[in-house]
Formats: sequence, structure tokens, C-alpha cells
Amino acid sequence: MHFDLSLAIASLPALFHGLMMTICLSIFVLLLGIVFSVPMALARMSKRRSLAWPALVFVIFFRGTPVLVLLYILYFGIAQFAWVRESFFWPLFADPFGCAVIGLALNHVAYMTDVVRGSLLSVPRGIAEASLALGIPERKVFLWVRLPLALRYGIRAYQNEVVGFIKGTAIVSVVTINDLTAVANGIFQETYDPLTPMITAAVMYWIVVNLVRLGFAGLDRWLNRHHAPEPASRTRTRKAAVA
Amino acid sequence: MPTSVDYSGYFQQMLGGVSITVQMLLWSFVISLAIGTVFGILRTGASGVVQIPLTIYISIMTGVPSLLILFIIYYGGSGVLTALLGYDRSFDVSPFSSGVAAIAMVNAAYVCDLVHGAIRNLPKGQFEACTVLGLPRFHAWRLILLPQVFRLALPGLVNIWIIILKETSLVSLVGLSDLVTVAKTAGGATSEPFVFLIVASFFYIAMSTLTVPLANRLERRLNRGQTPVGA
Repeated sequence: MHFDLSLAIASLPALFHGLMMTICLSIFVLLLGIVFSVPMALARMSKRRSLAWPALVFVIFFRGTPVLVLLYILYFGIAQFAWVRESFFWPLFADPFGCAVIGLALNHVAYMTDVVRGSLLSVPRGIAEASLALGIPERKVFLWVRLPLALRYGIRAYQNEVVGFIKGTAIVSVVTINDLTAVANGIFQETYDPLTPMITAAVMYWIVVNLVRLGFAGLDRWLNRHHAPEPASRTRTRKAAVA
Repeated sequence: MPTSVDYSGYFQQMLGGVSITVQMLLWSFVISLAIGTVFGILRTGASGVVQIPLTIYISIMTGVPSLLILFIIYYGGSGVLTALLGYDRSFDVSPFSSGVAAIAMVNAAYVCDLVHGAIRNLPKGQFEACTVLGLPRFHAWRLILLPQVFRLALPGLVNIWIIILKETSLVSLVGLSDLVTVAKTAGGATSEPFVFLIVASFFYIAMSTLTVPLANRLERRLNRGQTPVGA
């Protein structure tokens, strides 16, 4: 049992194809997450029970259910109902890609709702109150004061969720999507060599995850650039100026 | 149209699936807690001989999907064990043990990070007091430091417990008859997959919801003596 380098190189094109599927799927769902999580978080934080309760039930259900079960429900479960099959949305559920996107997105949005909520709650109250006292309309305070600050407080939690989510996409092969894991599995079944394709795929996941981490580290630095320590040379000239 | 009586057998099978899922959860959590705690303590040391392999381990385990690690252990594990321990014996890796191994290995890395963070948040005086009193290191960790570490790390550990609960569903993909496998098979046999899968999802939701009050009780217990005067 050893790592077969020539097989690894030979299977790179197929694995890249799978990787592209994983990345496309991830970007699709991450965009859905950004679009839907802010309204969901606002609904969850609303004082109106008719908004807060459904949002809470949504979060509890889709956070608590494993993605695997969620995909099975979407792919096998709801197809048994005739009214779903006759509905307008059926092409979406009949398509594996549609199923995978919906299943992953429901789980991701449920997690993101709490990420966004936590970030909004961590913005100090005084800042929003001060803005309102200055006569800035509530809508603008939310959009230009609370949301940008929340982004800064929430970036770490968002990074964890994105990384966890990308790793979680490995499961979509159960609804016949040819993602990176599925391709690696296919090569294993053709060659009876489990280690080579799967370790190569693991390296690819590792690179993607760490690129994402690097990107977030850069974003974090940029968002917090006013906290950055001043470069040594500039500090020295300033001191000289004061003296 | 089958009546509800026909389903009772399937629901009994699902109880069996629940038992396997719960066993997976307990084994994986206990092992990842044990390994993660030891790694977390080692991570506070300065020696590069320990730090470098630990850093690599954590980077791999937090950067690669658990499903892939499970596949590597399940499909590649017997070959690796045979190569390592001699060709005269053959090693069978069961779905259960490879599932526990994969989930425990992945989550040990997360526990390690948590424990390491908690140790760094302990007041320095606690370590100094242990040294001054001449407590042997093992006793210092067991009696003084670790109880405080677990108090600090508890919220994160509860999170990991819930993540492990959901991750156990992955073992159905290497052929273990856990709750998900049984629900899927029963759904296929009765052509009522929705009912069985929803029941399975309610089990996971109930388990993670039940965790919250239990975790709160544990937190109160670990926090005893921490209540500020007058609160």
C-alpha cells in the first residue's frame, strides 16, 4: 500500500473537474447565504412573534438535521408527494444540482442566521443610539453603521462557517453530484487504489480551505486596518517631530 | 396502502439504528476529548519536536472534509495497518471502528484548539501556585488546572458534541446500519421515504435540543464557587 505518484498525476484532470464542481456549488450556496441570512437574522431578532417564531423554527430544524438527512429528504423524500411533482418547482428538485444547492443552502442559511444575529448583537448599543440621536434615519443607521460594524465583528465566525461549509460539500455525492470526493471515489473503484486518489483529493481540499483562510485573514486585516500597528519607520519620524 | 401496523417493525429497526448512532457519538466524543485534551496540554509546551507534528496534524484535520478522512481510513486503513504491522496478518477495519477513528481524529483537533485556548486564558498565578506548592505536574493538571480548563472550554465542547452527533450520520456511507441507513432502507421498502427521514431528523433535533438543559446543569456544576458575592 503506497502512494502512486503516476496515478495521482494521471487523475489530476478528472479531480480538477470535480474540484470545479465543488467550487461552483460552494459559490452558489455562499451567495444564497449572504442574500438570505440578513433578512432571516432580522426576522429572528424581530419583536413581532409572527416573524421571530418561524425564523426560530427554521434555524432549529435546519441546523439540527444532518446535511446528509436533509439531502435524502429533498432527493428521495419529497418526490413521493404528487403535488410536489406537479408543482412549478419540480424541475429544481428533480435535478441533483438543484437538490444539493437547496439542501446545503437551507443548512448554511440556518447557521448564518445565528452568525449574523450574533454579529449584530455584538455592535455596542451606544453607537446605534448615538446615530439615532444625531437624527440619522433608522434604516440608514442599520445600513451604514450597524451592518458594517457587524461585518467586522462577525468575520471570524463567518470564516469558520465558510470553511466548515466547504468541507461539508463533500457529502453531495450521495445525490449523484460529481464533486471532488465523488471523482476520487470513482477513481478508487476503477483502480482499487483507495489511498492515491483520496489523498490527492484531500490535498486539493486542504489547499482550497487554506486559500479561503488566507483570503479571510487579508479581509480581516483590511476591515481592521485602523487597528493595525503603525510601521516602525513612521512611528520613528513622528517621535522625532514631537521631540 | 399499508397501515400503521406494518410500520412498527421498521420503527423497531430504527431504534436499533438510534442505538448505533448513540454508541458512535459516545465513543467518538470521549476519544476526541481525551486525545484533544492531551494535545492541548502538549501545545502549551515550547518544544518544537512536539509543536511541529501537532501543527501539521491540526492543519490536516481542520482542512480536509471528515467524509474523505473516513473514506481514507475505511478503504485504506487495512492496507496501511498490514504494511505497518506485518504482512503475515490481515487487518479488517470495521465501519464502526473506522467511523469512530475518523470522527475522533477530526474532532480531537478542534478540542485541542479549544483546550489550548482555555489553558492560555487561565491566570498565570494558578501555574505558579502549583509550582510553589511543589505539586507534581500530573496532579497539578488533574486537580487544579484541568477542572478550570473544562469550565472555560465547556460552551465549545457542547458545540463539538452536537457536531459529532451530526457527523455520525456519515458512517452510513461506509455501510454501517445507523439511524440514517435504517431510515433510508425503510423509506425505500415502503415507498414512504419522507416519513422515515423526517423521524430520523427529529431524533437529531431532539438530541441536540436536549443537550442544552444538560449542558446548563453541567455548567452550573463546573461554575460552583464562581458566583460573585451578592449575585
